[in-house]
Amino acid sequence: MIAAPLLRRFRLSLEDRRNLRTALPFIAPWILGFLAFTVYPIVYSLYLSFTHYTGFGDATAAGFDNYQHMVKDPLFWQSLSNTLYYAGLAVPIGLVVAIALALMMNQNVREVAIYRAAFYLPSIIPLFALTFIFIVLLNPGFGLVDFLLERVGIPAVNWLGDARWTRISVVLLAQLGAGGPALIFLAALRAVPAELYESALLDGAGALRRFYKITLPLITPVILFDLIYGTILGIQIFTPAYVLTGGTSGGGAYTAGPENSLLFFVYYLYKNAFQYSDMGYASALAWVLFVISVLLALAIMRWSRYWVHYEAS
Amino acid sequence: MLVCVLAHCGGAIGAPRRRALAPDSLTADREEGAGSTVIATEEKAMTVLPGRGLKASLISLVVVATACSSGGGQSAAPLPGCNSGTTQVLFWTSHTPPDTDSMKHMVDAFNKQSTTSCVKMVAVPGSETDIAKLTTAVRGGTGPDVYELDRFTVAERAAAGVLTDLTPFGAASESANYLDFAWQEALFKGKPYALPFDTDARALFYNKDLMQAAGVDPTALDISKGAPTIDLVRTIANKLNKKDSSGKYTTVGFVPALSQGWHYTWGFAYGGSFFNASTCKVTPDDPKIVQAFKDMFWDWSGALGVDALQTFISTYAPTTPPLPTEQDAFLTGHVGMVITGPWVLSWFPQYQPNLHYGITYIPVQHQGDQSATWAGGWSVVIPKGAKNSKGGYEFMKYFAGEPGQRVYTKETQHMPTWKTLLTDSTLYQGDLKIFVQLLPTAHSRPALPVGSLYWDQLSTAQDAAIRHSKDPATALKDAATATNDKLQQYCPLAA
Repeated sequence: MIAAPLLRRFRLSLEDRRNLRTALPFIAPWILGFLAFTVYPIVYSLYLSFTHYTGFGDATAAGFDNYQHMVKDPLFWQSLSNTLYYAGLAVPIGLVVAIALALMMNQNVREVAIYRAAFYLPSIIPLFALTFIFIVLLNPGFGLVDFLLERVGIPAVNWLGDARWTRISVVLLAQLGAGGPALIFLAALRAVPAELYESALLDGAGALRRFYKITLPLITPVILFDLIYGTILGIQIFTPAYVLTGGTSGGGAYTAGPENSLLFFVYYLYKNAFQYSDMGYASALAWVLFVISVLLALAIMRWSRYWVHYEAS
Repeated sequence: MLVCVLAHCGGAIGAPRRRALAPDSLTADREEGAGSTVIATEEKAMTVLPGRGLKASLISLVVVATACSSGGGQSAAPLPGCNSGTTQVLFWTSHTPPDTDSMKHMVDAFNKQSTTSCVKMVAVPGSETDIAKLTTAVRGGTGPDVYELDRFTVAERAAAGVLTDLTPFGAASESANYLDFAWQEALFKGKPYALPFDTDARALFYNKDLMQAAGVDPTALDISKGAPTIDLVRTIANKLNKKDSSGKYTTVGFVPALSQGWHYTWGFAYGGSFFNASTCKVTPDDPKIVQAFKDMFWDWSGALGVDALQTFISTYAPTTPPLPTEQDAFLTGHVGMVITGPWVLSWFPQYQPNLHYGITYIPVQHQGDQSATWAGGWSVVIPKGAKNSKGGYEFMKYFAGEPGQRVYTKETQHMPTWKTLLTDSTLYQGDLKIFVQLLPTAHSRPALPVGSLYWDQLSTAQDAAIRHSKDPATALKDAATATNDKLQQYCPLAA
């Protein structure tokens, strides 16, 4: 039994053991599902990454071939740089937008419920639909965004047709989904003790000062959470690029956006797995992405020691 | 329950909402029902055995397992319109209306006459090169019996092991019925893996109204005068270009890369060769293809202005993603000339009945050169693991055979690969005849196990040339390196 060392370690009472014995079969369906649909594919993909495998027939051992191919594959490097460029912009910008939204949602006005719903609304529209709306807004000829820019004297931008702007367009699009993190920040804002603001007010602190000296330090744990969560999601960006580049609609583009500028890492992985029938290479790509995610998360955790403020400490 | 829900209802959850999928949603309903029974049974077990948690939980597990195992099987009741005693054949296509409307007619006609099989057609997501839905379903043991696949990827999918060898069904004897290039595309290592379906060809369409408005005589491009030279097309195109007050193009005479003006189109037009069978290497860096890229992509967009042209394309003819058909740049008069195929013929009566257009050969480098075009098209295959491959093949022979292709040609303006249908003049009205005449000399893409990758690599090089981000020679050399790198594992390709 796996439970045996656990039992020793936690010194379970007889009662606890009986409860555990009862509980395990109850949660067994979940455990089995987790093992079959999460753990097994992860382990299997590690094995596949060392093979040549089309998804059918037998996988043939390939040693480090797939990983070696990556080093000299220009599209691998391009997809990696596209992804990091995107995440590098989208995560910090998303953080600021989410905090700003949360602050707005936290205002003490009568209609706050309406505002909260309005700010959150874009986050529940399916990303697929949202992307299509975005395409119309960004049309250089008759889109609203360029129309407004030109009105204030800024030259129109070819948002989706110019490789310099495509990734920035996706960063902008991602901000429409800021409602989710904003809700978490809202909860964090509500948890800041009101008496801190009261005493700061008595001492004559202004709104900005209160924000920088009280609000911001106290929500740093949530900022850390959002940074790590946002980074992991950010480097897995897929849907907008897939929709913007025509995805499965035949006769569309066969490059992932102009000059492959929307060829994000997971999109390239998808193409290898399902268009080029190269599951081995796709698995290797998945593992490289996993390692990059872990390294980024660890780096953020370490960096957070310098700025995250935990109330208990 | 998670395991059971995932295992049995996964298909229904992931499936698009189409009427054709109704039986799946019925399955889901049935299982939800089963779920509520489980909960009731668990509660009952708990009350029957108070304090005996372990037993109760074990009972719940058994009940869950039983609930999972039941309700999974599907009885193949004959569909409406099928003869009794027939077994079901599941047919998947990634096509959309109006093509699928015509296919439905073919399926209905087949079901009416077959005493052994009953075909159920389901529209699934996918494209020429994207078969994610098929591969995952086949791998999960829930794939279809027949799948419609872009013919130029047959060798690629056969090499990957997705397709069933059709030799045991006697498919080899069908070869004489089909156009040779189409049959060659259906083979991998000399064995048939598909039956060819429709085909097409490419030609130059020109808008006579725009030309007249610009003071150009449209008869200059009349097909009776033979293939126009690229210089002539350029001269006419320049007269059609129009800009608005802010300096943005509203009309461009000709954008060579638009619609079907692919790398293959211009490569063939310049006499280039894309594959060397004796060395088993792709040759996109053939000097003739490099020249085609330089003239038609690099220089052409340079003359119009690289950024100005991209703004025009993003506005009126974006590929990210493409506009709906009724807003097609040629139909709306934003481009004066375009390279495209016969399927466009059905658009005119529907969306622009008053547009005066003409069709001629793809332009040539020098006066008197032989014009080149290329033909593609689809095919039907039996994926690995098909449960009713025998019935599937029976349907394929009908669908891709004389009766099926006759209906499809008549209703959709696609062209058949079935030889005897090509000589049946009653099938081709109006301009479709031009395309039928183009077929005998049409090129086809090399059927390679890395066909999709090669296409994407060529597209990347084309995109780079149009945007002046990489010169054609370097871009095409890079495409050659990347493709050959993956191709080598399949060499030699001969039987």
